[in-house]
Amino acid sequence: MTLPTTARRGIQAGLALCLGATMAACAGSADPEESADGGSGDGQTVSFRSWSPIEQTTRQMIDSFTEANPDVTIDSTIFNYPEYLVDLQTRASSGTMPDIVGLQPGALTQQYREKLMPLEECAARVWGDDWESKFHPVGLEQARMGNPEGDEHYYALPLLVQTVNLWANSELLDAAGVEPPATWDDLKAAVATLGDAGDAAPFLLPAKDGWLRNVVFLQIANNLEPGRVYQAENGEVPWTDARIVEAFDYWSRLFTEGIAQDGALALDSYPNGVNQFEAGNAAMIPLGAWWIQQSDPSKTEIPPLSDGMSGYEPFLFPTLPGGAPESQLVGGIDVALGISTDAANPDLACDVLTDWIAGDGAQVLINTFNDLPAVTGLDPEEFTSDKQEQIWTQLTQDWMPEVQWSRYFESPQIDTAVADALAGVAAGQLTPQQAAESVQAVQDQQG
Amino acid sequence: MAASTSDVPVTHAPRVTGTRPRRPARRLTRERLVALGFIAPAVVLFAVFIVYPIVFNVQSSLLDWDGVSAGTPVGLDNYRDLFADPTFHTTLRNSAYWIVLTIVPQAALGFALAWLLNTRLRGRTVYRTLFFLPAVLSPVVVGIVWQRLLDPFNGVLAQLGRLTGIDVLTRSYLSDPSTAIFAVIVVNVWMWTGFSMLFYLAGLQLVDHSVVEAARIDGATGWQLIRRIVLPLLKPTHLALLLLGIIGSLKTFELVWVLTEGGPNHASELMPTYLFKQAFQLQSFGYGATIAVVLLVVAVGSSLAMLRTFGSGFITGDRS
Repeated sequence: MTLPTTARRGIQAGLALCLGATMAACAGSADPEESADGGSGDGQTVSFRSWSPIEQTTRQMIDSFTEANPDVTIDSTIFNYPEYLVDLQTRASSGTMPDIVGLQPGALTQQYREKLMPLEECAARVWGDDWESKFHPVGLEQARMGNPEGDEHYYALPLLVQTVNLWANSELLDAAGVEPPATWDDLKAAVATLGDAGDAAPFLLPAKDGWLRNVVFLQIANNLEPGRVYQAENGEVPWTDARIVEAFDYWSRLFTEGIAQDGALALDSYPNGVNQFEAGNAAMIPLGAWWIQQSDPSKTEIPPLSDGMSGYEPFLFPTLPGGAPESQLVGGIDVALGISTDAANPDLACDVLTDWIAGDGAQVLINTFNDLPAVTGLDPEEFTSDKQEQIWTQLTQDWMPEVQWSRYFESPQIDTAVADALAGVAAGQLTPQQAAESVQAVQDQQG
Repeated sequence: MAASTSDVPVTHAPRVTGTRPRRPARRLTRERLVALGFIAPAVVLFAVFIVYPIVFNVQSSLLDWDGVSAGTPVGLDNYRDLFADPTFHTTLRNSAYWIVLTIVPQAALGFALAWLLNTRLRGRTVYRTLFFLPAVLSPVVVGIVWQRLLDPFNGVLAQLGRLTGIDVLTRSYLSDPSTAIFAVIVVNVWMWTGFSMLFYLAGLQLVDHSVVEAARIDGATGWQLIRRIVLPLLKPTHLALLLLGIIGSLKTFELVWVLTEGGPNHASELMPTYLFKQAFQLQSFGYGATIAVVLLVVAVGSSLAMLRTFGSGFITGDRS
């Protein structure tokens, strides 16, 4: 019997789909042969993947550990953040998760929580029972952000922490006779003066990045009504609360009152925004404590402004009329580390993780000024200038221990909704009220 | 050796009568096994790298799934949500803009350049290389460079505009939701025009010069010659560029990501950028898979529509 061509093609396509369906049968399943190939598969090799610290610094941290433990090999890959998200998700769902992974607090850690070891035992074994006292409180608090109620485990421990704040080009401010603004009116006056003084942008806002829009908004919102936005995320107050709408309004005024430069929504922070700031083309920029890494003495070429932090000064977002009397400190974890439940040698992975957080590896990391250490009392072994040391002390001793407000939202949906709303306001598509309503709509959808 | 060519004399026998000679069943089986052996690697590769991901995606699109934990079957809810999603509507609109506004200008400019550089212009090899250069650059590099060029605060175009008084150069094209997608399209055209030029140059080399000469003798000159003789003869090139353009438009990611990240406020969002955000940033892998399935349907649908309209031999020019 001969089948018609169309029937044969149909059968062939059906067979191909059946084959594919058989192969794809695990889509959406939790743990396909979970630990079969997980981890490094070798008791003396630890695999590490992350987007931070940068490759060169990670290599130095690895060298530090393997010099002290010559029989250990650390296989590391550092990605750009978007690529890392793809790599981690693919590995986690295919049972090939690395032993140690870089994590952000909240949604990212929670996404992989079931595949991460609780780290209290590891921490207590290496640092003793009072190990929590080593860390900045906000780092530990954020490490458990989003845990289910009653789950007090740490699935990630902070490696680096940070404040989000503003930086001034002190040379430009001095030349214009302007102090870093402490109030909203000071900010407007400073922008006007600096605008008249030269061609540099008075307030360079790289608002293309959603994360940067959000951290600036969080500084504004907390300066207006400390903690209100987190109450909104928890559903205790609506996003249309008058103070939150007012925060959107202040964000809007950065654009409508000419504080931010033209085209702010098209400028990314890395590389274009920071390049302009480091080249002296901007007087102020919102970034965070990590900016001190520009003065890393191990760099081969350091621009004059960054050399010893000679041209910079950190300051907090100005206070706002009717808001908190003091500028609020917003910050949290830069990068945290977790250990996979599939790790072939969890004790060894624990040794590496704790070394990098608070041991010799951490010292190597901090010597590069990559960001602020998650543990207290860890300082670079060498400062290249008094100003660099003074800024480091300000960031680590005056600011970081006082950080009370998170730079993150718990939910990625709310994080994106706020970032979108801020872009809409900045572009003139949304009023502050509409922006708040759009975030509330997303929150309502989540239930 | 199982079967030599000489053992299968009937395979290519001329068809003299209406009845085919029956081949022995054993030989047929062996022949078919050999044939299957040859095509098996291709079938396996096709199954693993094409069929499997498609089926996996379709299956994932029926789940509420973060890509890591166990997914929850939700039927067609993701599709219902997607078709009601205003950002998805924006991506469809932007894809339509992208297809029309990249393919046509790229083809027109590419042909114009190819026509000029197909003459005995001095330094034409250098010009060909220069015009083709953007096509070999990484879209990430192109994106970063153009972001700096278009920066209205300190970009080259803005500074030029201020010096010359040409205000149009100082506008903030990438940060304005009404112009962002068009600004990215312009950069894309700049990047890929050299690629179209190369196609047309190859096509022009293949044009039968006797036809062109005959047209000249008959009095065709300039634009007449191009419109009535050369452009029709280049039909396979037009169609190849059209097909490549549609497929390329649907899968554009890097350039948009670097220039605008799909913003501001999703104004320049395309399906691939939205898919990435949903699947990897918002941890909605199931929803991202739904976008991927729709993207696949659109891509396959447009390719099939072209094949149906122009025939399977349209790229090679085979009219049969």
